[in-house]
Formats: sequence, structure tokens, C-alpha cells
Amino acid sequence: MSTMELYQLTAEKLSAMLANKECSSEELTRSVLKRIEQKEPEIAAYVTVCGEEALKAAAAIDAKRAAGESMHPLAGIPLGIKDNICTRGVRTTCASRMLENFVPPYDAFVMEKLNAAGAVMLGKLNMDEFAMGSSTETSYFQKTRNPFDTERVPGGSSGGSAAAVAAGEAVAALGSDTGGSIRQPSSYCGIVGLKPTYSSVSRYGLVAFASSLDQIGPMGRSVKDVAMLYSAICGRDNHDATSALREYPDFAKELTSDVKGLRIGLPKEYFGEGVAAEVREAVSKMAKELEKMGAELVEVSLPSTDYALSAYYIIASAEASSNLARFDGVKYGYRAKDFANLTEMYEKTRSEGFGAEVKRRIMLGTYVLSSGYYDAYYKKAKFTQLRIQQEFAEAFTKCDLLLTPTVPDTAFKLGENVDDQIKMYMNDILTVTVNIAGLPGMSVPCGFDSKKMPIGAQLIGPKFSESTLFRVASAWETSVGGFDLSRTLA
Amino acid sequence: MNLDIKHLAKLSRLTFSPEEEAKFEKEMANIVAMVEKLPDLDASGALIDPDNPMQMRKDEVVNQPNRTELLQNAPEVQAGCIVVPKVVE
Repeated sequence: MSTMELYQLTAEKLSAMLANKECSSEELTRSVLKRIEQKEPEIAAYVTVCGEEALKAAAAIDAKRAAGESMHPLAGIPLGIKDNICTRGVRTTCASRMLENFVPPYDAFVMEKLNAAGAVMLGKLNMDEFAMGSSTETSYFQKTRNPFDTERVPGGSSGGSAAAVAAGEAVAALGSDTGGSIRQPSSYCGIVGLKPTYSSVSRYGLVAFASSLDQIGPMGRSVKDVAMLYSAICGRDNHDATSALREYPDFAKELTSDVKGLRIGLPKEYFGEGVAAEVREAVSKMAKELEKMGAELVEVSLPSTDYALSAYYIIASAEASSNLARFDGVKYGYRAKDFANLTEMYEKTRSEGFGAEVKRRIMLGTYVLSSGYYDAYYKKAKFTQLRIQQEFAEAFTKCDLLLTPTVPDTAFKLGENVDDQIKMYMNDILTVTVNIAGLPGMSVPCGFDSKKMPIGAQLIGPKFSESTLFRVASAWETSVGGFDLSRTLA
Repeated sequence: MNLDIKHLAKLSRLTFSPEEEAKFEKEMANIVAMVEKLPDLDASGALIDPDNPMQMRKDEVVNQPNRTELLQNAPEVQAGCIVVPKVVE
């Protein structure tokens, strides 16, 4: 392609073009909206597209810029938002029948921040229902497809976000990650995705799945774009009691690509038999490349990794069963039509409003918290969580960050795992530990397998070490000459 | 393992048809078998992060979205109130 279309460019490049008046936000937004119109029949990434509102917002930003106002780097950049993040006046469905017609009366904290920055919201992105899933197939509305191969899933639960970014249907996007929901779809769709340190991004306005694990995070086509978006959304919020009391640097501005002297740990448990050989090789190759650039490779061990998935599903489902008790058909959301009394209204509403996977998680959560089973499951899971945290802390005395595969294999076919929950849950085996320990984790593309599907590598650091993750990711990105999305952006 | 699907469904305020119930019972048994794989650990330490303490906000009244906007999401509204089935005999 001789000339690049605006929708194909990175936020970094577009931000500079907007600042230099080489294009307007309205032109850019039109380009992305046209792309959405063109690709949606095939990809189905969006639950809701807000074309008119986006163009209006873009024009308003252009006017401000023309008037000489000082602008945020994200001003005028069109973004997609996962449909579990509340957007005032724009319906927020969580891809569930339960919230099919829910229009939030307030903005999530991250939306307040993005609106203040002048970012343009394109619409709401598809996901697994209530963020429970690894393929976006549990959405009540539609199945999103992987832009690299439309027979395959984009991953999940932020599958709409990943597919939209990879296909050029958004310059960047927000997702949410409870057990891998940003990193796994980023890996499957060949983009960059960050699950930030727990407590660095406010959860106010994020529809709760598992409150102690949920975190909103940025997804983009370059490391710099993800750093820009992360800088825009992190920070203290009084509405989230778990929100950390600290100041954050401008991650994009201070981004360097120098890995000299950094110690990169390779946890042997993450390169085991369950990981596809091609994935292991790609990540090992990346490690060697970083070593050539001056990093030191260290072998480390995280022995309790095997227990992480059990602990995760217990803790996440326990919290979900409690969080989702609010959907009772009374104040908002779906309400069943015919019922004899209040209890029947609850039961019919919930049985008709929730899909099968959500029901399984609620039932599992109810089981592990129920009288007589609490000690055997929930308490044990919390002890395991503590052990996993301690093992990470121990590992970080020997290295500055960890490098692992993001997912054991590349994207699978639609329908392949829908009837096998255990196989579906195994997708999260390398990502859940990060949520359990509250750490930042990032997926970066590191090549393609023989099916030409993208492979992702995961960088994990101590709490609030996002700068280090960006630094290593950027060094890798520079060494490969940028991540290759030429097939999905064409 | 003793999975009483009917009892769990009741606690969860969910109902299942007999066919669904049979399917769920099988699936739940597999999932529970998976999550049962946990070590016996003696807990020491606590799951709090002393370097990053939490802070509650002040208990202050702030202006919230207006009534019309809130009621817009209610399944059934009458005279500015949410309608629910009779709850007292």
C-alpha cells in the first residue's frame, strides 16, 4: 500500500499529525467509522457504534484546537470501549440480556478521564457475558471473529476490543482483565495489551465481576500507544476504596528502549509440556534477542503455578456470585414477564437474563461459599493466593521482571471449546497468577505460528513496575521493526 | 463431593429445567473436580499490602444523577416509583 489510510496509523503518529494540523479529528474519525462499516459484517466487534456522537465530539475537539487551546495527546483520537465500562447516556450491556437496555446515568472514572482528555468514543465493544469467558462466544448478542482468521475466536473476554484494534476499527481500546481478559485476546489478535497493577486504575463504573481481581487496561497496536492510554486512565479515585494513593509519571513521555543490565526471569513452570512448542520457541527467541541487547536471563521457579487456576476460579466465582446478586429485576436491567410472587420474579428474571456460563460461575461461587464447604474451597484458595504472592516476591529478588508465553497456544476455532469448560478455562493458566498477585502483566506480539496466527509473550513485573514493562516491550518492538498487522489492517 | 444442584440453584435464585439440570450437574462436577486441586497450606501472613494502604473517602453528601435518569432503567415505573410485586401479606 503506497499511502496509509488514517485508520491504519498508531495513536502516537495520529497525535502528532493532529497537533501539526496534518489531519483533523473529524477526518480521522470518519476514516475509522468507514472502516467499521466495512469490516463489521465480517468481524462483529461492536455491540454499539456511536457514529454521530463520535463525529460531533471530533468536531468539537477540532474547534478547540483551532482556537489554540492546549490539547492532551489523546485529544481527537477515536477509541473503542469494552461494553462493561459505564458510559453515560450510551447503553452498557456487558454483552448480557440482563443489561440489554441499560443506559448508565454516570460515567466510569476512566471515561471521565478520557472525556476530559478529549478522546473520541466510537462505541462499545463486544465481550464474553459479564467478562466470563476466553473466546467472546458467551456474548448474548454476537460472536466476534479474529481478524487474522475469521474462522477463529479473537480470545476473550475483551475479544471485541482486541479484534477492533487489530482490524483498524479503533485506534486503541479499553478492555478489562480479571484472569487474562486483556492479555489473552491481545495475544490472539497480535496487539499489545496491559493488565495494570491492581489499584492503579479505578474500577468505579466497571461492572463488577470479581472485585479483588478486576482491572481496566489499555490495548493498542504499539507499546507507545498503550503507554499513552495507560497514562491517561491511571490515578487515584475516591470512588474506589482500593485505588492506590500515589502519583504516576507520564509513561509515554519517559518511555525508553534500553534493557542493558535488566534481569529477565524465565519461570520454568511457564514453559512446560502444556505449552505449544511453537509458542515456547517464539518466546525463547524473544528472550535471546533481549539478551543480545544487554539484558541478563535468569531461570526462576514459581512452584505453586499449578494451583493458580483452581484458586482463581474459586475466588473469582465466589466474588461473582455475590456481585451478580444485584441483578434481581427490581431497579434496573431485565425483568421476566410472568411471575406469581417476588421470589419467582427473581428466579425467572435471573434464569432468563443470564447465559449458561454466567450461571455456572454463580453456581460454583455459591457452592464454594456455602456452609460446610467454605473452609475446603474459599479459605484454601485464599491461602494459595498468599503463597503465590510470596513466590512472586521471592522471584523478584532474583530478577526485575518475568518473561513467559501469554497463552499456551494460538487462537482456536469458533465452537471448538464451547462444550468443554475445562479446556476453555485452561486458556487462562498462564495469566491468572498475575491477577491473583495483583501484579502488572502485559502481552506483546512475538511472532506467528505455522497457521500464521499471532503468538504473544507476557511480561510480568512487581507492583507499579509498568515503566519497566514498557521499556522491555519497546526494546523488543524496536528490534522487530514494529508489530506486523499488515494483514489485518489492509 | 456432594453437589446438590437443586439446593445450589435455590441459593443462587436460578431455576433449571430437568434437562438443563442434568447437563449442569455433569459440568459442575467437572469444574469442581478441577478446582479441588489445592494444596494444604498453613496460612501465615495476610493478604494486605502495607506499602499501598487503602483509604476510604470522607462520608460526604454529593450530588448524584437525577431521578428521571435513574428511573429510566427501571423495568416498571408508576408515579415516579419502581413497581415490584406485593411483598407483604
